[in-house]
Amino acid sequence: MVRVASETLNSRVPEGPVDEVWDKHRFNMKLVNPANKRKFTVIVVGTGLAGGAAAASLAELGYNVKSFCFQDSPRRAHSIAAQGGINAAKNYPNDGDSIWRLFYDTVKGGDYRAREANVYRLAQVSNNIIDQCVSQGVPFAREYGGTLANRSFGGAQVSRTFYCRGQTGQQLLLGAYQALMRQVHIGKVELFARREMLELIVVDGVARGIIVRNLTTGELETHTADAVVLCTGGYGNVYYLSTNAKGCNVTAAWRCHKRGAYFANPCYTQIHPTCIPVSGDYQSKLTLMSESLRNDGRVWVPKDPEDKRNPAEIPNEDRDYYLERRYPAFGNLVPRDVASRASKERCDAGYGVGETQLAVYLDFRDAIQRDGEDAIRKKYGNLFHMYEKITAENPYQVPMKIYPAVHYTMGGLWVDYHLMSNLPGLFVLGEANFSDHGANRLGASALMQGLSDGYFVIPYTIGDHLAKAVLPKIPADHPACVEALESAQSRIDQLLAVKGTRTVDSFHRALGQIMWDHCGMARNKAGLELAISQIRELRDQFWKDVRVLGSGESLNQSLEKAGRVADFLEFGELMCIDALNREESCGGHFREEHQTEEGEAKRNDEEFSYVAAWEFHDVGDEPTLHKEPLSFPNVPPTTRSYK
Amino acid sequence: MSSESLNLTLRIWRQDGPNAKGGFRDYKLNGVSTHMSFLEMLDVLNEQLIEAGEESVAFDHDCREGICGACSLMIDGKAHGPDQATTTCQLHMRRFHDGDTITIEPWRASAFPVLRDLVVDRSAFDRIIQAGGYVSVNTGNAPDGNAIPVPGTVQETAMDAAACIGCGACVAACKNASAMLFVSAKVSQLAVLPQGKAERGERVLSMVAQMDEEGFGHCTNTSECEAACPAEISVDNIARLNREYVRASLVSGK
Amino acid sequence: MDVLCKILSIPATLLAKVPGIGPIVKVCCTSVGQKILMALTGLSLCGFLVAHLAGNLNLFAGEEAFNGYAEKLHSLGPLLAMAETGLFGMFVLHIGLAVSTTAMSRRARTNQYEEKNSKQQGFILPNGGASNLMLVTGLIIFAYLVLHIIDMKLNLRGFESGDNKFQLVRNVLRNPMNGVFYVVAILALGVHLTHGVTSACQTLGISHPRWNKLIRILGVLFAWKIAIGFISLVVWAYATI
Repeated sequence: MVRVASETLNSRVPEGPVDEVWDKHRFNMKLVNPANKRKFTVIVVGTGLAGGAAAASLAELGYNVKSFCFQDSPRRAHSIAAQGGINAAKNYPNDGDSIWRLFYDTVKGGDYRAREANVYRLAQVSNNIIDQCVSQGVPFAREYGGTLANRSFGGAQVSRTFYCRGQTGQQLLLGAYQALMRQVHIGKVELFARREMLELIVVDGVARGIIVRNLTTGELETHTADAVVLCTGGYGNVYYLSTNAKGCNVTAAWRCHKRGAYFANPCYTQIHPTCIPVSGDYQSKLTLMSESLRNDGRVWVPKDPEDKRNPAEIPNEDRDYYLERRYPAFGNLVPRDVASRASKERCDAGYGVGETQLAVYLDFRDAIQRDGEDAIRKKYGNLFHMYEKITAENPYQVPMKIYPAVHYTMGGLWVDYHLMSNLPGLFVLGEANFSDHGANRLGASALMQGLSDGYFVIPYTIGDHLAKAVLPKIPADHPACVEALESAQSRIDQLLAVKGTRTVDSFHRALGQIMWDHCGMARNKAGLELAISQIRELRDQFWKDVRVLGSGESLNQSLEKAGRVADFLEFGELMCIDALNREESCGGHFREEHQTEEGEAKRNDEEFSYVAAWEFHDVGDEPTLHKEPLSFPNVPPTTRSYK
Repeated sequence: MSSESLNLTLRIWRQDGPNAKGGFRDYKLNGVSTHMSFLEMLDVLNEQLIEAGEESVAFDHDCREGICGACSLMIDGKAHGPDQATTTCQLHMRRFHDGDTITIEPWRASAFPVLRDLVVDRSAFDRIIQAGGYVSVNTGNAPDGNAIPVPGTVQETAMDAAACIGCGACVAACKNASAMLFVSAKVSQLAVLPQGKAERGERVLSMVAQMDEEGFGHCTNTSECEAACPAEISVDNIARLNREYVRASLVSGK
Repeated sequence: MDVLCKILSIPATLLAKVPGIGPIVKVCCTSVGQKILMALTGLSLCGFLVAHLAGNLNLFAGEEAFNGYAEKLHSLGPLLAMAETGLFGMFVLHIGLAVSTTAMSRRARTNQYEEKNSKQQGFILPNGGASNLMLVTGLIIFAYLVLHIIDMKLNLRGFESGDNKFQLVRNVLRNPMNGVFYVVAILALGVHLTHGVTSACQTLGISHPRWNKLIRILGVLFAWKIAIGFISLVVWAYATI
């Protein structure tokens, strides 16, 4: 049985109507005097949308910022790969959108496992984000007359998605990156690229700094500050194969967790329905094809599993447009979790197509007939081009083959309304926290959340902490710093000392397979229990038999990977524990024991309407569960139905 | 599409550190599936090297879908390999033939020093952006997104330039190791948009000054950069930079 | 080359300190500024080529016409001297900048590739075409220019002329060594201009997707019109024996 803490977590959401709390709270929070801001130093780890935006905005306010990223440049953070767009409740198309509707859709889309107040704030500031980005020179798509264009995205009934061709994430990130570079130029931000965070420095229970490894020289560096802002993204790479960049990892978040920060809802992972299927065992990552493709593409499999005809030769009556069949109201535009499970269901039943039979068709034939190839090319040209490059098939002529893949992780470090973790002084933003998407994220909402946290939340909430906390200077030789440094060093030494026979990647692949098989699109008790024991065994083997060549004193990519995989091997277990504990199906978490007769997810609001935040004790030791109860006075929970 | 398998010889630049002397080493790699991406092929090589007790070949990579700009590599003398509009991570082994010898080198430019093997330091690009590749607008200062209309054609021009992924292939491919395509892409994007107009003069002057400071070469308009660019940035941007430069030299503030 | 470059940069460094023109010199000293100056001087020299060719085409009109043209030109006196000084300045600047920018590029890549190939599609001359031959063709043209002044202007090698420019030109060109070298040099000029004219337009920002192809065609046409024009003079020298 799981150890459960007796006290519930305090989310620090102020009292009052949900649409007023943020405004009132901004007034109630303490401010740091403009002249005093320059006395504070803030560490921001990660330079994606959340990190880049936070570092730039905090520096603009006058704080001294130290910005860290493991990539060679802040511009390469994985936010750059987001394709589809960013939501905002601007209601420019006059089609009935509002802040309230964006709020409602996001809470419902998250399957009633998000914190209402956070989501409302997100919807509120969504409009400011668009304005800010436009001012930075982000070239959002425009109508010929010069006004901003919108499209409908990911099952939304209104057109509220702003986009830059298929490269929205890139353009938004470059906007934040440029704002950050401006502050570097001014001297308010000190930039540390090719640095990987390995430890959190905690002094008297307050986060006061980090230990990083300089990936070029191998040197460990101690950086102290008055607050640490973690913007280190998601943990999808625990599955080895995912749409995440190869470098994405859980290390920074996990090391904070091991220092006392609670990890919330780790089992909530989003499996994206439209990815290019796996083609061989050498495969290193999966490529997402934007969800926007489902606006015009129709998803189908042959009605007869033995039908091996060329897809173009299969007539309509022999095709099963299963999304349109099962969900007539939303059709191909059902949310991601629903679409993914439906493909899995068809493939498990033997209807899959392609060499591996783990794929379904996404067909543009009808859209091309209706709008012409040029119109389709204009909308999706770069995506089609990308697909053809990878598969050597022309999607204008042959339907795309797609299959779900791990894409985003809704879980993350637990944070309160201020985006501060249970460790004072440690703030967590963007995908790295758990807060806004509940059990499932809607399309075009990740960019919104990252930028909202970075541009419009942290600049206010960090001031409240800095103004109230007692923050004595921490010298680099403070016992807490020395202890953290030694801990980081000893882990590196341990990895190098194993001198076993197996490569890091082989362990990572094995872990990924366990996670995908038992903690993937569908989970059950027996599978999860098996997974936990398998992960423990694999972890033991890793520490006995991993082979990491080279030294710690130079650029050593094997060592970098080894450190990350070692953390995934501890983290994967927590994911399974969380998934095992959550005896219900909600959003991206589907427990086979909890489904309706038609195979739809069955939530259990009575028992599980809470955030599961886990406290770390020791590797392999059962963590303690802290609950944050969730209530939905404004969006009463209903069964999500897209029929 | 059925998969074939290739037997290859790889000539790879190995260099232990920034100051170490580098050299080529040959590796045989057999049974490479034509479905593999180029980087997956290198992954397979690295797995084999580690098993044989040799340190893996270091190379920069991250998103592996052609957008982050981390991957590089001069493949048989061509930046990002033989395909147009393709990054190395998007290049697939079906472009090669059984028995091929493939030469793999790092980007070579004084402004991009080699850190190890195929990894180079491209922070010069960051410093060029720091010099002025932005619009000076603080968070919270923005007027409504629709307050200033931007004609669709202008936005398209800006977007074409903004698509740059900052990989450095333009520098690598240029016989003069010039960074003009990279710099001009950012200058163009912000010069054509009304939001960037206020600083256009200062921007181009400072970015060009920083570009020179970093030790890039000058542009001789060979258009090799355009051909090598995976994001298909056009040399028209270079002409625009030149125009902006002339304009700024004649009338800019200082 | 770096030493040469340093010597060449002395006047620029000094000029940059002169109030009034200092800031202008500074913007001209960056990589882009240098290229713009190079384009401007290059295009001006193209203007000279047109005028020079137009004048020389008087050769076809006969001895009297050509000598008349020569006399008229020389009667300009101080004006001609000024023009020649200007022209000389252009040449010096153009060549100086060529040395400076080439040195800059050498420094920009000190370690060469083991293998380097073009990714440009369509027909490219080996090694990247005309653009890669600018230095070589420039040097040939420079050598030719020196010889040209020695013979045509100063007649230091004592060709028979009888104080008659028409005769001098014909006799110089009729020297077989001269004839061959002139043709080679003018071909080099053609190649130089093939890249030079369009490149100068690009450097000066004269570019638009709609016009670029036309600019390129006109540039090449211009280059070879000039070249053919000058070569025709050599042909004429032999044809009118």
